[in-house]
Amino acid sequence: MRTRRIIGTTAAVTLTLTIAACGSDDGGGSGDGTLVGEGSGADCEIAAAIGVGAALSLTGAAASYGESQRNGLELAVADLNEEGGVTYELTVEDDQTDPRQGITVFEDFTGGDTSIIIGPTLSNGAFQAQPIAQEAGVPVLAISNTASGITEQGDYIFRDSLTEAQVIPQTIALATETYDLEQVVVMYSNDDAFTESGYEVFASSLESEGVEVTDTLTFSVSDTDFRPLLTEALAAEPDALVVSGLIEAAIPLVTQARDLGIEVPIIGGNGFNNPQLMADAGAAAEGVVVGAAWNSTSDNAENVEFLDAYEQEFGGPPDQFAAQAYAAMTIIDTAVRHNCSGERDDVQDGLNNIADLPTVLGSLTINDDRDAEHEAVVQVVEDGAFAVLG
Amino acid sequence: MPGDATLVFIAISGIFAFSFYAVLVAGQLSLGQAGFAAIAAFGSATLAPAPSQVGDVPALLIAVAIGMSMGVLASIVLGLPTMHLRGVFLAIATLGFAEAVRILIINMESLGGAQGMPVPKVVTPAIAWVFLLLVAYWFWRQGPSRYGRALAAIREDELAARAMGIDVGRHRLQVFVTSGALAGLYGVLWAYFVRLIAPEDFSFTTAIDGLVTAVVGGSTLFVGPILGSIFLTLVPDLQRAIGIDAGWIRPFLASLLLLLVILFLPGGLASLVPRRVRMPAVTGTDLGSEAAGLETRQHPADGEPVVRLRGLSKDYGGVHAVRGVDLEVTGGEILGLIGPNGAGKTTLVNMISGLVRGTSGTVEVLGIRPGRTAVHRVAAAGVSRTFQQSRLFPRLSALENTLVGSHVLTRPTFVRRMLWLPSARRDEQRALQHAARCLRRVGLADKAAVPAKALSYGDQRRLEIARALAADPSLLILDEPAAGMNHVEAAGLSDLIGALGRDGLTILLIEHNVAMVMRTCSRIVVLNFGEVIATGSPEEVAANSEVVEAYLGSAEPEGEPR
Repeated sequence: MRTRRIIGTTAAVTLTLTIAACGSDDGGGSGDGTLVGEGSGADCEIAAAIGVGAALSLTGAAASYGESQRNGLELAVADLNEEGGVTYELTVEDDQTDPRQGITVFEDFTGGDTSIIIGPTLSNGAFQAQPIAQEAGVPVLAISNTASGITEQGDYIFRDSLTEAQVIPQTIALATETYDLEQVVVMYSNDDAFTESGYEVFASSLESEGVEVTDTLTFSVSDTDFRPLLTEALAAEPDALVVSGLIEAAIPLVTQARDLGIEVPIIGGNGFNNPQLMADAGAAAEGVVVGAAWNSTSDNAENVEFLDAYEQEFGGPPDQFAAQAYAAMTIIDTAVRHNCSGERDDVQDGLNNIADLPTVLGSLTINDDRDAEHEAVVQVVEDGAFAVLG
Repeated sequence: MPGDATLVFIAISGIFAFSFYAVLVAGQLSLGQAGFAAIAAFGSATLAPAPSQVGDVPALLIAVAIGMSMGVLASIVLGLPTMHLRGVFLAIATLGFAEAVRILIINMESLGGAQGMPVPKVVTPAIAWVFLLLVAYWFWRQGPSRYGRALAAIREDELAARAMGIDVGRHRLQVFVTSGALAGLYGVLWAYFVRLIAPEDFSFTTAIDGLVTAVVGGSTLFVGPILGSIFLTLVPDLQRAIGIDAGWIRPFLASLLLLLVILFLPGGLASLVPRRVRMPAVTGTDLGSEAAGLETRQHPADGEPVVRLRGLSKDYGGVHAVRGVDLEVTGGEILGLIGPNGAGKTTLVNMISGLVRGTSGTVEVLGIRPGRTAVHRVAAAGVSRTFQQSRLFPRLSALENTLVGSHVLTRPTFVRRMLWLPSARRDEQRALQHAARCLRRVGLADKAAVPAKALSYGDQRRLEIARALAADPSLLILDEPAAGMNHVEAAGLSDLIGALGRDGLTILLIEHNVAMVMRTCSRIVVLNFGEVIATGSPEEVAANSEVVEAYLGSAEPEGEPR
């Protein structure tokens, strides 16, 4: 009797879930015509709001990036909607830095009426979630994935974030020239996909610049005490420390390095590219060299306007993640206006036609591999702010 | 509205929760499952043929076989040195293992390091649910089998389970290996669904997620892990559907909900499922039918030696608890063992039942050597006992307690239950009949469904006797069974012991209630300061001046129950 009832309950639950699953599978908003507008380019007018879904890490390990990204997106959408003609309905979802949530959120977006999906925040999550959009024929614009192979997943996957391979070689080359680097110590957290791939690019760049790596030290993303490693690094008398780590590690690492008397430049990866470094590490951050996809000091009109608006809206300076998110909406808007259509395939086509587009990141082109190309910048911390090196 | 991914995650999180359930039912807290899953995921993704070569389903099945085998192997390798650990110590040891696996994988370049390893996506909701239902089926059939009851007994009271003839070490390793196999299955299904596996997918948080799912669902009924998984997987979906703003508020609400479930449903969601204990209609009344149809043992004939102690001593540090005791108990005897508090009575019976090993001297019981033989083997040889402080399985019903007692008599039924062989049902029915008769024998027939912890003190003592009787013992050791009983209850107990003796059972009765011992026993041994000071018939012992002195010298008045 009891077991029969349990079987009954289980069967009922299974059935309910199955039916519910079938019910949600209605293909979304493409094809109903209202997403196609009149006119073209700046004159394009589309009656319905274009659905933009963003799967960001708002909680969990990568929460600090996701928050900036959301700010950038919301600011950009508000600006675009004010301009009119084409309006956007932004849905920001949290993937909790968890593959299960990332995959589920992407599935929800593809099943709904989103014209394009932005995200997810981390590259590992991107490899898990973006294929769902590829299979469903929904374009994706990655705004912070820097790993190689992201856009190789399919012809619907685009990105506006420069890869490590695009930024780090420039950083090492310029730093080597500026500081006459001969030997360095490399440190990186080896249990994080982003910092590990960053390390790989650092290593190969150092090799091609002919800089000797006297020691390579690894730590964990969750570490906060770097004194033993730094003491070891100090003993090697390097001309610079090269570090691939996240901002959480960067702040204590830089502070402790200066405490221990390491005065040489510290060259960081993209994880260091965060105003929080100067805010929290203070004077210790002076002399930190960071390669970046976004030049925060750039005086191009888009960037100046963005810095102002962001500061006003959120009471603090934006970081690169916010800038890349903001630029994503500029790109999407241009892509939508290209065919004056929010249909998924039309947006995909539009994205393939982005060339020399002025954005907060500078003049941006999406190449044949669906990767963004724009100028990178090498920055150095001077007087508590990022300045262009060289 | 749950989509494909949600359905798959419910299923595979459920399977992962089952890998925790597998050990929790036996009272083990292991956190190594994330490590087993990682080994299985990376191992199968490396070794299994690509789906493009052999087809999706064959590739997945091969991967599952590889992954589960690796999970089994890893759990044996980890289990052998750690199975003697208990509670939080086992949890920490297994956690250490899982962390070591994760670090190892991060540093293995061939597995992609922190950037992970791509795996083709093969798993569909249907495949995931087939696996989940197979696993659930396994535990559904395991629950009410002899094996399942033994695990529940180990969870409730390990020492008592040992004394009922359950090989605790073997059972603990078995569940550990089951857990390893299931964690391996989870790892493979995960790998073949999420497309990219990274070491971070098998971290401490993953293990805690699995544990929470199993506990929230309930770890005593097989639907628990499924309910837990449905609940925890759907909470984020529902929050999205309701339109709660993305951000910290969602995990906060989810945690709050979790807290509420644990507060108000300590047994997990599965405690909402009504349970009923089946009390079979008892047939047959004569005493001989108690063991009808079960593998009965040959009891020693009247006068044959059952227990033989030679110069048996036990020292605890400088304290001589038992000193040079020579004693013989023969078949059919009801031997009373009395003595003042601290005389060494319980130490002596602990040595006879194999729980304690003597410092010197020899013990021979039913042809085996307790102290040199595992406790469960002593029980299997026919020694059954009650404890001075009741050691029942508190959350099991009276009937289930008694069924555990019959462990040494019954045949394993789990595998046959899975195959629905009629013989398993027959065996279970016989065991139930037997247990029900033992309960009736002690006057607890109407309390069969009551959990042991809810019984009155006197009933608990009676239930312990019923449980001991269910083993069809050749030697029944009763350690102060009348303690805490009133005169009426004690008299009833005395009658019961007398009746059991008349059935030919050999009984060793330790009792403070001297009047009861005088009335019940055929021979009495008096212990004082660890030494035998008198042996003989009740009349002889009562007249012995040394005995009188020992009792008058003690603070406790003679003949009064404590």
